[in-house]
Amino acid sequence: MADPLMIFDILLALSIVALATASLSVRDQFTMIVLFIIFGLLSALAWVRLSAPDVALAEAAIGTGVTGALLLKTLHHLRFVSGSRNRQPMTGVAPLPPVPLGVTLANAAFCGLITLGLAAGFLGAPAAGPGFDMLVAEAMPTSGVAHPVTGVLLNFRAYDTLMEVVVLLAAVVAVWQIERGLSEAPAPVMGVVWQGFARLALPAIVVVGTYLLWGGAEAPGGAFQGGAVLAAMGLLLLLTRAYVPQPGHRGIARWAFVLGTGVFALVALLVAGGGRVAFEYPLEHAKTLILLIEGMVTISIAVTLAALFHGREPVALTTGGRHDT
Amino acid sequence: MTPDLIYGLTGIAVFGIGLVGALCALDRLRRVLALKLCSVGAGFLLVVGAWRAPPGVPDPVPHALVITGIVVMVSATAVALALIRRLQTLEAEDER
Amino acid sequence: MSVDLSPITLAIFVPLFGAIMAFLLPRAASVIGLATLALTTGAVIWLARAVLTGGAVVLPLGGWGAPLGIDLRADGLSVAMLGLTCAVGFLVSVAALDSLKGAQQARQRQYFWPLWLLLLTGMNGVYLGTDIFNLYVMIEVIALAAVGLTVLSGSRAAVQAGLEYMYASILGALLFLMGVGFIYLQLGRLDFAGLTGAEPTGALIAALALMFVGLALKTALFPLHFWLPAAHANATAPASALLSGLVVKAALYIVLRLAQYMPFPSETLLTLVGLMGAGAVIWGGIQALRAERLKLLVAWSTVAQIGLIFVAFARAGEVGLPESWKAAALLILAHGIAKAAMFLAAGRIKDEIGHDVIRDLDRSPIRPTLAQFTFALAAISLIGLPPSLGFIGKWSLMEGAMAAGYWHWVAVTMAGTLMSVAYFSRVFAGFLRFDRVRAPVGEHQGWALADAAPLTLALAAIGLGLLAAPILGFIEIGYPFGVAP
Repeated sequence: MADPLMIFDILLALSIVALATASLSVRDQFTMIVLFIIFGLLSALAWVRLSAPDVALAEAAIGTGVTGALLLKTLHHLRFVSGSRNRQPMTGVAPLPPVPLGVTLANAAFCGLITLGLAAGFLGAPAAGPGFDMLVAEAMPTSGVAHPVTGVLLNFRAYDTLMEVVVLLAAVVAVWQIERGLSEAPAPVMGVVWQGFARLALPAIVVVGTYLLWGGAEAPGGAFQGGAVLAAMGLLLLLTRAYVPQPGHRGIARWAFVLGTGVFALVALLVAGGGRVAFEYPLEHAKTLILLIEGMVTISIAVTLAALFHGREPVALTTGGRHDT
Repeated sequence: MTPDLIYGLTGIAVFGIGLVGALCALDRLRRVLALKLCSVGAGFLLVVGAWRAPPGVPDPVPHALVITGIVVMVSATAVALALIRRLQTLEAEDER
Repeated sequence: MSVDLSPITLAIFVPLFGAIMAFLLPRAASVIGLATLALTTGAVIWLARAVLTGGAVVLPLGGWGAPLGIDLRADGLSVAMLGLTCAVGFLVSVAALDSLKGAQQARQRQYFWPLWLLLLTGMNGVYLGTDIFNLYVMIEVIALAAVGLTVLSGSRAAVQAGLEYMYASILGALLFLMGVGFIYLQLGRLDFAGLTGAEPTGALIAALALMFVGLALKTALFPLHFWLPAAHANATAPASALLSGLVVKAALYIVLRLAQYMPFPSETLLTLVGLMGAGAVIWGGIQALRAERLKLLVAWSTVAQIGLIFVAFARAGEVGLPESWKAAALLILAHGIAKAAMFLAAGRIKDEIGHDVIRDLDRSPIRPTLAQFTFALAAISLIGLPPSLGFIGKWSLMEGAMAAGYWHWVAVTMAGTLMSVAYFSRVFAGFLRFDRVRAPVGEHQGWALADAAPLTLALAAIGLGLLAAPILGFIEIGYPFGVAP
């Protein structure tokens, strides 16, 4: 049985497992993050093979792109704080004693057993088993959108999606709280070429992001992918210092963070009435309301992801460290 | 062998690798990365569960769940990384 | 267009809007916070009345209904947990007004309120949720807000503890998510009702194990408790009270619910759960006896008490489960109220005396008597002396275990009680001795309005024992254990 697609699948699966192992075992941290990014992109490719283009887009943009940027930024900060860009400063300022090999092996054996158990459970489960296929197919005509994943995200399971935006809001509040007054490592120097690239890329990113959002109603894409692409624009602006957050911008930033959550929750509550419950959009306005929610959520996601990348709240820093009021 | 079998086992393997890293890694950044691997493993499982043999159309609900999971995970990662940055700064200040 | 508001959605949306407002208007955060708590409590009372008169309330969000959509469901147990959260939360908020009032804490105050209200949103969402994936998202809301509260003080110890807490929280949530994946693979649906009566296949056992371990990590069940003592001991007092009194209960509640819909596949597993609880009772007790600082002692006592709740859960084996959950629920309520009171009192003692080293408590000429009295009252409920709610919980635990002939659980409970007497006595000794004071003994300070909130909580922990029968009757509404609703 020499199905070329099957050989491709097996090779891809092996590379994914190998990259996951390599990224955890490689010594250098920069290499670790790069291997992780390749791992994420290959996982996204695997999800395309499993006919899940929406998930693949989200994983590539958010799971790999934004996470990778966050990890690289943190690594840069840690190396700056430790005062050396060459040493491996990572296990804390005082190096931790190495874990005995026996403990590591015991842990690995334990996890191996768990993995085998899970694999056994997976092989015993019904393949292509029961699912929501029929229910979704029946409900789609009354959902107000044409793309099933968007229908699930913004109509059938809109409550989950609202809470997911709340998680993002909680994250940005927590990050601002944690990093208050933290002095920032100077941004890595970018060459002229990079600056030029950024200028060229920015308009293109806006177009792609908006297209993803708009297309989400019919084709793969939607608020999260569009938001992530717009957030990439924010990252570029921050990295090239084309935009430097100022203390005076905090108010507008706060509004941008809560915009998605607030509009989503208000719409969900206000449609209740006349026999309808919360989240039950009137059929004739469903498309409009969903687009409104998606648009606001996209803005919030873009600004929030960029703010998570930037980290600390933009406050006027008092020189000399911990005093942060 | 069908793609769902291959990638299902891949996902479980990735979850297991992440678990080892989350329990054994000393390096703080690496532990965050290990947890992210676990979440990719769980994502694989759900995407595989949604897959239907062609010409079937996949179940959209797990796809939506995985997208939600990805956004939730990036939020958690951002908070963990902020804690790491803060802690490293505090430790460096104490050294001085 | 008229808008129909239902109390079940308000219980989740009011705190959410409160959090948004408190984040947008940092200067008014305290006022917004207290108003939100009051309104949420109102919504919960409204919901409680509805449940009392009409039984369990179900709201299919979006009008779709499970399994395609997500249902919110309120029954006696949900409303009891909501009531606990709002009542304790309100009193802790009042205490927080005082302990965060200084100019030094301007920034802490600014972040405390949005994070706490987001935490409240998440917890209320858990108590009303019926969809396991939705529960995963909710426990992540709780985790991020709780970690933010843990590190509010910004000290190195707190950040270190917060990071460990974060790792444990994320790992716990991901184990839970993997379990959700297995449930989807096997059953193709995610609502509670879909879990009932399912055959325990390999995938379902894997799912149950993953979800249980993940939740045990989140609720800090021995031996997965390693993150809790440092996190709870290093947080500021109101945050500690919320974390120890309320947050760990959310994961515990999910365990109870899962056991309701997915019966444990075997007696051995239930015994294992009880043994983990017994380990927590003993180990938490030993560590509390050895703790040098007051807040650390209180945090270790949380580990022991969580263990006791799991012992109550396992007290009469599989056949006793339809009754055992009530003992566990009573202990959850009792611990939530008493531990919040105790952490607030410990925070007051630390503020007044200036440190919380147990050995030197009796050297201080300043005696925050009201806070010490509160601490002692809370200890009465935690030890389980009559007529406190803790006593009723422990009594029903032992009664059930004796009826089933499981004397080992009785022995564990007795040992845990004796140890709690021993470790709390270490603190009482510091309150009552005056011979080591170097200054004039008459110097009694530390009466403050800030003591009112913890004192109310401690009195409630004791007084509610007298209302145990109505409480038990209430939590049974709409909750026929082991029978599909």
